[in-house]
Amino acid sequence: MMNDPLKIGIVSFAHMHAWSYLRALSEIEEGELSAIFEEDPERRRALESRFPDIAIYSDLREMLAREKLDAVIITSENARHISHAREAMLRGLHIMVEKPITTRLEDADEILSLAEREDLIVQTAFPMRYHDATVIVRDLIERGSIGEILVITATNHGRYPGGWFGVKELSGGGAMMDHTVHTADLMRWYTGDEVKKVYAVRGRNIRENLEVDDIGLISLTFNGGVIGSIDCSWSRPSTYPIWGDVWLLVIGTKGCIYVDAFASRVESVIEGDRLRWKYSGADADKVMIRDFIRCVEEGRRPRADGFDGRQALEITLAAYKSVEGGGVVQLPLGK
Amino acid sequence: MIANSHVRAWRDLANVVAIVDVIPEKARGFAEGNKIDRWYTSVNEALEKCEFDIVDVCTPTFTHCEIAVEAMNNGKHVLCEKPIALTLEDADKMIKASERNKVKFMVAHCLRFWNEYRIVKESIDRGEIGEPRIARAYRYISFPLWGGWQREMEKSGGVLIDMGIHDLDYLRWIIGEVKEVYANGGILKSKGTDAHDYLHVLLKFEGEAIAFVESSWIHPKSHPFTYGLEVVGERGMLKFSRETSEVVQLWTEGGGETISPLKRDAISLEIEHFLNCIESGEEPLVTGLEARKSLEVALAAIRSVEEGRPVRLPLNGGSI
Repeated sequence: MMNDPLKIGIVSFAHMHAWSYLRALSEIEEGELSAIFEEDPERRRALESRFPDIAIYSDLREMLAREKLDAVIITSENARHISHAREAMLRGLHIMVEKPITTRLEDADEILSLAEREDLIVQTAFPMRYHDATVIVRDLIERGSIGEILVITATNHGRYPGGWFGVKELSGGGAMMDHTVHTADLMRWYTGDEVKKVYAVRGRNIRENLEVDDIGLISLTFNGGVIGSIDCSWSRPSTYPIWGDVWLLVIGTKGCIYVDAFASRVESVIEGDRLRWKYSGADADKVMIRDFIRCVEEGRRPRADGFDGRQALEITLAAYKSVEGGGVVQLPLGK
Repeated sequence: MIANSHVRAWRDLANVVAIVDVIPEKARGFAEGNKIDRWYTSVNEALEKCEFDIVDVCTPTFTHCEIAVEAMNNGKHVLCEKPIALTLEDADKMIKASERNKVKFMVAHCLRFWNEYRIVKESIDRGEIGEPRIARAYRYISFPLWGGWQREMEKSGGVLIDMGIHDLDYLRWIIGEVKEVYANGGILKSKGTDAHDYLHVLLKFEGEAIAFVESSWIHPKSHPFTYGLEVVGERGMLKFSRETSEVVQLWTEGGGETISPLKRDAISLEIEHFLNCIESGEEPLVTGLEARKSLEVALAAIRSVEEGRPVRLPLNGGSI
């Protein structure tokens, strides 16, 4: 028996993932896009011409007051997640928040306490927990295929996304803010453990004129002794054949696993254009959105909830503290 | 272990007159297997009884200094397997011996002669990617079982000094001097050893570039030896790995292997370079001082693991 589709609003298309979530929503029956909040006039015009049947608001409160929504997907600039989440949650809406959940720990904690108080579902958009390749890795680990985990080495390289990602006030930081949390979250998921120590380095930027960091390396030590590392750099040139990678090597006492989650590809070379890798792998966004809707319907805890988003953010903030002269940073971070 | 590939290379380029190994059967077997007439069980004996110009030291690391210094004191040019030594004091003794005796001394950091690594170096020197800003270099294998001495920290220095030093030396060559290191790891898997079997190192260079070096002896036995490199500069990126280099694959009922298509390997080019330096009088590409600097970075990383904090270079006093 099917429930009525959940009514979902998208809060801002500032983050390009909004387009992918919208596509995913259009391909599933459990939920439907009911309204869009978009402040930016240019983006609003583009949305209006593509979705003439959907109400598009330039005032979030107005959208929340007028539309009978069940949940919103928040894909605004990182630093604005908190105000958008607060507005939606105070209206009793469940939320899925683009990663990083917020740019400050106190903001993440506010979301967690609002969720508790209002009894709302908060999902952090960590699609890697829904990607078939990285889920297989989790299953292999759970089955004991490689024994006890000793080391997890990860890269989440990318091209420079441009726009507000390079504006510290809106992004909260550069590559480290953008690309630490995905693999940090996978490490927490795989080990079932929390990070104890963080050390990070930031070099001279590849892109000299950028005000935020574009390269960084992070070394992690988990409570149980697992050693992790993350290369979070926007170190892919603009001509790279795909946006970047999520690559992990997990070494255990009895074996090791490599996963290169976005390496599934069809190579495409068209006259006059660069080599492109057409991604042919799993559709993690669709699985994630579907699960978010089910969690809302069943009142179930999402696979990556607000707390997971908070913990990954804390690792990121510890890495920033380390590069800003903090040396080896112990977690949890003090208030 | 490394002696096999060295002897193969030497035989094409020079006349190998004698083999020395402290174990008589090994010395004899090796000499006979390679059609070399003489074998001895000590360097002293070889120096007394035999005439030659060059000594190639392929012994375990903890013996490098004594053998190399003795050979140089007898006027021989010395090619020494990497790492130069386990302490900066020993490295200094070797450097001084080469200066005092006016002989050529080179440390066999073979990546500087390795095809793909050379292509990357030449591209960087031509300015193709601009100034390097971030690099990533790794080496993965199961715990080495070919000699018991690797198991002892005091004899091999563990995974970083024994293996990771390849990448540390190479990155110094392409990027410059290292300012600070932080390392994480230790003895993660291996039983009955006091040698580190896994380390990763975060490096900060003088020019504000950063790098990640990962050295693992904790891969499963079935895992082939694997290495790779990625360097990103202001204008682009260079990247390769064993998989993209060894493009010939051989599969049999017993398993598979990949083979490099190159006729001349790095060892052969390195030995040829050393011979050329002896003839021309030029300084070798990897002098004792260069190798000492790479050892210093590795020692700093080990100190970082022991003390749980980043360590700045230069070191004051360098031993494990």
